[in-house]
This record gives sequence, C-alpha cells and structure tokens, in this order.
Amino acid sequence: MDYALDSKLARFVRRIKPAKKKKKLAPPSPFKQYVESLSDEKAEQLREFFADFGAHCLIAKKETKKLRADFERAILHYINVGVSLDEALDLLAVKNLGSFYARPPVLWFPLDDAAKIYPLSMEHGIMSIFRLSVYLKQQVVPELLQMALNFTIRRFPSFATTLKKGFFWHYLDTTKRRFTVEKEKGVPCESLKVALSGSQSFRVIYYDNRISVELFHVLTDGVGGMTFLMALVSEYLRLTGVKTESDGMPWDVNAIPIAEEVENAFAKVPRSGSASGFMDKLAVQMNGKLSENKPSRVIHFKMNASELKAVAEKHNTTITVYLLTLMFLAGRAATDELHGEASIQVPVNMRKLYPSKTLRNFSMYCGIRLPIEETTDLQSIIVKIHEQLQKKASKESMDAMVMATVRLVKILKYIPLILKQRVAKVVYGFLGDKIFSNTLSNLGVIEMPQAMAEHIESVDAVLGPPITNRAACSIVTMNDIATFTITKTTLDPTFEEAMHDLLLADNISMTVEGSDFYEA
Amino acid sequence: MKLKITYPPVEKHKLQRRHLLRIIRWPVLFIVVMSPVVNYIIGGKAWSLVVLMSIYMTWSLVLSPDLVEYNRISQWIKLISFSCSLLGMIDFFLAPGWAIDVVPIVCFGGLVITGVLFFTDIDRQKQNMLPMLFLIVIAILGSIVGVSIWRESSGWPLIIMGVTAGLLLLACIITLRGEFLRELKRRFHVK
Repeated sequence: MDYALDSKLARFVRRIKPAKKKKKLAPPSPFKQYVESLSDEKAEQLREFFADFGAHCLIAKKETKKLRADFERAILHYINVGVSLDEALDLLAVKNLGSFYARPPVLWFPLDDAAKIYPLSMEHGIMSIFRLSVYLKQQVVPELLQMALNFTIRRFPSFATTLKKGFFWHYLDTTKRRFTVEKEKGVPCESLKVALSGSQSFRVIYYDNRISVELFHVLTDGVGGMTFLMALVSEYLRLTGVKTESDGMPWDVNAIPIAEEVENAFAKVPRSGSASGFMDKLAVQMNGKLSENKPSRVIHFKMNASELKAVAEKHNTTITVYLLTLMFLAGRAATDELHGEASIQVPVNMRKLYPSKTLRNFSMYCGIRLPIEETTDLQSIIVKIHEQLQKKASKESMDAMVMATVRLVKILKYIPLILKQRVAKVVYGFLGDKIFSNTLSNLGVIEMPQAMAEHIESVDAVLGPPITNRAACSIVTMNDIATFTITKTTLDPTFEEAMHDLLLADNISMTVEGSDFYEA
Repeated sequence: MKLKITYPPVEKHKLQRRHLLRIIRWPVLFIVVMSPVVNYIIGGKAWSLVVLMSIYMTWSLVLSPDLVEYNRISQWIKLISFSCSLLGMIDFFLAPGWAIDVVPIVCFGGLVITGVLFFTDIDRQKQNMLPMLFLIVIAILGSIVGVSIWRESSGWPLIIMGVTAGLLLLACIITLRGEFLRELKRRFHVK
C-alpha cells in the first residue's frame, strides 16, 4: 500500500515537475578540436600566443571574446588552406593590435567645420554617407578581412569613434570595441545606426571580390576615406601573404597617428577677404519620379583611363570638364524643362590648395551652372564649363567659401544644439540639394605600390543618394581603369543611357556594371 | 545598355521608419489641428494642450526616437522630463492642486533609477552623462525655487528631490574625479 502511494506520489510529482532534461553537451568548437589535435609543443605555442593577446586586449569582456574568436577563425582559415601554424601566428602577430585595445579611451574630436552640418541635418533614413570599394582579383576571405580591420583601426583614431551630442555641438568620442565586418546584403549607402552607445560611424562590407567601406561624412571626406580603405586593403593583402610595401605611404598601418591627421584643417585657411558661396538660385531638376527607396540603382561605367584622357585632350580639356560637359548634355535629355539653369556640384579637395595630412573633411565645392537653352552640343559648352570650373574652383573662390563656413560656425557656436538642430532641419529641408541638379566628384588617380596593385582590379566610389537630385556621379581611377559611377534616385533611365551613348559616340569603350533596381 | 549585376539582391524591404513616419504624419497632424479647434468650439478647460503634449511625447519617445545618443539614460530622462511636464500641465489646466507634491516625487524616483542605470554600467554610461546632469541641475533648481515659493506648505518632496539630486551629483564627482571634468569639457565645447 505504501509502495503504491509512493509510486502514485512519484508519478504526480513527475507530472507537475518534469525531470530535468539532460543537458546536451555542445560539440567542441572547431578551434578547440584543432587545438586538441596539436602536439604539446604547438599547443603551448598557441597558449602563449593567446596569453600575449590577453595582455594586449583590456577592453570589455564581451568585445575581448569577439576579438579572440576573430583570431581563432583566422588561424583555422590558415590551417585549412595549408599555412603552417608558425606562419599563421607570424602573420597574425598580436603586436599588430598595438596598444589600441589595451588602453581606455581618452581622445575626443570636435567636428571639423564642414562636418558640423551632417548630424544637424540628418533624419530617419537620410544620412550623408558615401562608399568606396576595391575590387580584388580574388574572392574576399571574411576571416582575414575582419582581422585586417582589427589591426587597421588603431591607425585611424578619429574613425574609432561614436557620434555624441554636446551642449553646443556634436563631437566624436573614442570608442574601444571590436569594429565589425559584414557581408553585403543591403542597399549601398544605407543609413547607419549611430545612436547607440559605442556605435560605429562607418561600415566595412564585402561581397565576392569587393571590399567596401561606407562612411558617415562626419568622419571624413573622399580622400580620408580612400586612405582608410587603402590601409585596410594593404593590411588584408599582407594577411593573405602578399609582400606589401606601405612604408611611408599615408596608409601605413604601423605608423603612429599624428595630430595633423585629425586636425580641423579649415583653420589653416587664411581669415581674410570676402565670404560667399552658399546661396544660389534653384536649379532645374531631371524629371523622373523620385523613388521611395534611395538609391534606386547604382551604375558603374568602367572605362580605359588612357582612352578617356586622350578624348578629353582631344577636346583640349581635362577629364573632369569633359565628363561635366557630357553630364550637362545627358541631364538636358533627362528633363522636360525648357527654361532655367542646370547646375552641377563639384567638390574641391582643399588639400591641393593648402597641403595638409588631415584625414578629416577638408573639401569645399563649387557649382557649375548653364542655362538649359544653351546646352545643345558638346563643342558649344565645353569651353564655358572649362572657364567656369577654373574660376569657381580657384583659391580665391574656395577661400571665400571657407570664410563663409567659418563665419557661420562662429555665429552659431554659442547657440545650444537643441535650437540649432531645429533651425538646421527647417533650412536644410527647405533648400536641401535643390540648388544643384547633379554632382560630380573626381577622386583622381589612386596610386598603389606595384606589389599591391597587382592584386587589385579596380576601385569605385558611390556617392550617397541625394534628396531631390535624380543622380549623383563620381569618378576614380586605378590600374588605368576609370570607374564612373552614377547613384540614381529615379527609375527613369534617360540620364545614364544618354551618358552611355555620349561616351560611345566619342569611341570610349566601357563595361557597365551595377545593381538591379532597388525598387521594382 | 547591357548591365552586369555585381550587387547582391536585397531582401524585400521591411517597413522603414521613414515610411512609417510618412504614413502616420497625416493622422497625427489631423489630431494636432483638430483638438484645439474642437476644444475652442465646445469651450471649457484647455484639455487640447494636454493632448498636444501627449502627442509630442509619443512622437518623440516612440515614433521618432533620437538619431544621436539613444541610450538607456537619455531615454529614461526624456521619459521623466516629459512625464513631469505633462503632470504639470494637467495640474495647471485641468485639475489643480496636487502637482507640487507629485512632480517632485516622480522626479525623485527618476533620479534614483537614473543613478542605478548609471552606476551599474559606469564604464559605458559615463559617456552618456549629459542628460543625467541636466536632470540633476533641473531638480536642484526646481527644489530651491519650489521651496522659496511655497514656503507655507511642508515642501518635503521638493527637499528630498533636491537632496537626492545633490547626492547623485556628489557621487558622480567622487566616482569619476578627473573624468568628470573631462566629460564636461567635451560636452560644453564650442570648437
């Protein structure tokens, strides 16, 4: 009877309190399995390696764990492709981390004069982001790219930051964390989430043979961004076993960052003369319906740079002026307006006027304007554009624009951010990019040491989608390939088709690559 | 023009906040315009101001959150500030006489929880100190002003609020020492 009661009680207890499931033991990680397979000597070598890592990495535990996992994945990758452990540990030497992860964050950076507007004017889904990409001759190995970023970030203290709000201005506060590399799966130049504590203001992504960095303009401009990308690629190539020679190059990851690289270089421009350059008449826009998702498409024309240069020289001008001319003609074809002025914004690299090593923003811009009635054929407008560009991108004009920026910053500096933000949003929302019809940013020729250039196919630059303009264009050259990129914000294909036809008419051969429509 | 696709296909878009805001904007605007009109037509107390404040609070906290510095301290303090303002408005426009006691109590609770949020993750949260400092300063000032205006009432909630704010400020200074000043320098820079 007692036994029966006992068993009934036991059954009842089992029903209300199910027996604890035996915890399934997770299979050991591939790295653990690999370590177990090593000889004592090699296991000791690995243990010493990670002890050294521990001394170099004193950031939050969660981040340390992620960094350690990066090392483990990279070691496993090397072993899987037949690299010896000695060689793998040599390539991944912990000293490459420097002291970045071993010291608490102390640095902070006020935004440079050009960057101050970007956080003031941003909205949900609208952010000034640009993208720079390198196309390698081999598929990207994500494990090594992540390690390359882990090693490179220490060279760029102003990039290892989070955007913060001050009482009067935003600023960049150093953040010590493991910065992430992601596989590309979104729309180019998608907004970054910069609001959370420790968020990064850039993203590094990869797809097939392409490594891209997407940067929030508060950090840097095209020149600084390209330096960062080249440093990253140089480090990545080193990790793949390429003998890179970055000594003395601006992207040498082993160089110690200097104050000049993070300075607000606008302070270098002499404070004299007049201030002007921001306001202008509204420009004629291309007529395609603005897409819901921006950009609606990205298109690259990959051309032979020598051929392009020869054609520009045939017209007695530069590549920038030649492309601007074609853009005016293509823009004319893409609008139904019969009157008004088209205007193309041309960023000007101030480093050419005031030599500076800064990796922050140091560019201004000018607007090249033409009445659309006069935009009929290449010969009739090329000289006008040439003259305008020479005049408007001159030192005097740029000085005046810098002066206007500096004065504006000075006027606004004691106004609390909360008020500035409201006013900036209204003004920016009212004007936005409406004084321009298009943009052409020429990042020039990217020079690389031969050993590195051999592993790179080409580079491209994608400007962030404009608000009102239907297109924004850029060009950058490497390995004699000039890549002209169009960021579209309308499904209307007239502009790019007209550009394509105009280039073909001048016997410039090209391959056309890009994205599908992001909005069907 | 033949184009070779070199970008990955993008997953069907989730409803982006930007699109959501565009859709919601119109009904919200309708309420913003209509509630004062209805309030004016039917007369009585100014309840529409409380409605407008509530809409602004919901918009700012839920629908269109901060683009920079969205962290536990900033959001909590935003909630406390909005709640206190809303309570003050309800007291002033609809049912007077209780806010002088209730608002300091809410503020006191807010300060205590802010302190907990700050000191339990100090390494990270020291970078998010500015909103907390604002709440502390407002609480101290509110306490001083409140006690001097309402001398005849007991005013103990105001005193407790002010003392708590003062203690929190002191705890911050003692814990952060030099970093406290460095943080202030960053936050109030005009460069």
